[in-house]
Amino acid sequence: MSREARIMFLHYITGIVILVAGGIHLWTVFLTAPIEENLRFDNSPFAVLNVYRNWVLAGSLEALLIAVAFHGFNGLRVILLELHQGRAWTRTVNLAVSVVAVAVTIYGTRTILIASQIA
Amino acid sequence: MGVRNSLASSLSAALRTWLIPRRYGVMRWSYTLQRISGVAITLYFVAHVVETGNVVGGAQVWTVPSYEYARNVWTETVEFLANPLFDAGLIVIGFLVFFHTVNGVRLFLAHFGIILGKPHRPEYPYTPASMTRLQLALFWLSIALALAALLYSVNVFFKVILP
Repeated sequence: MSREARIMFLHYITGIVILVAGGIHLWTVFLTAPIEENLRFDNSPFAVLNVYRNWVLAGSLEALLIAVAFHGFNGLRVILLELHQGRAWTRTVNLAVSVVAVAVTIYGTRTILIASQIA
Repeated sequence: MGVRNSLASSLSAALRTWLIPRRYGVMRWSYTLQRISGVAITLYFVAHVVETGNVVGGAQVWTVPSYEYARNVWTETVEFLANPLFDAGLIVIGFLVFFHTVNGVRLFLAHFGIILGKPHRPEYPYTPASMTRLQLALFWLSIALALAALLYSVNVFFKVILP
């Protein structure tokens, strides 16, 4: 498999990860209790801190974060490379989307790690 | 005269082509909607990661903060976001997420050859063998589920359908 084929294979795999982890995320936010209750900081079963404290839910959020960062920014990369071609453009787009995707993943991971320890 | 391939001209030509999907059938709409929804969801995703970063007190916090500090920042964030403009934005994102997901499953199945038709001799009116009824059904299912998500989220945020 060429490099681009491997990346597109990962695009489809992360799509499946998002289907599962995104389903869990929507379930915890919308279907476990009225949304106002689930947006509370603490003191209800699926309040934000309790979601981060539960390692299964926090783990699925981390998986969702990594999968969406890859899937979304690779999608953006594919669109930008489809709209215009050229070596400099390809390099610039590849570098820019990679840097932003990694930065967003680091920031989101920080939130998950710190929020799970707030007591 | 050489071939024009400046960044601005190729971007505008390509965008004009895929933002006006009429004349090319329903699968062209699927192509355009999948891209527009993907870009919109990615932008929302970045905003959502920034917004949920306020659970721990915001961008400047990189060690475990006090409970009260984080709670105050999060409560302010929720109050700031609780307005009809952001709710309407979330409803649109809900529609786009459901469309992109179900249409994405169709693309996944087609990419791996599961729902592709068998090749046949091209005959008028040259309907592509790949565009099976199942593919069309999945496209319309993605629209139907996206509309259902839209109605559900209108009810969640504006309580206009069910009390």
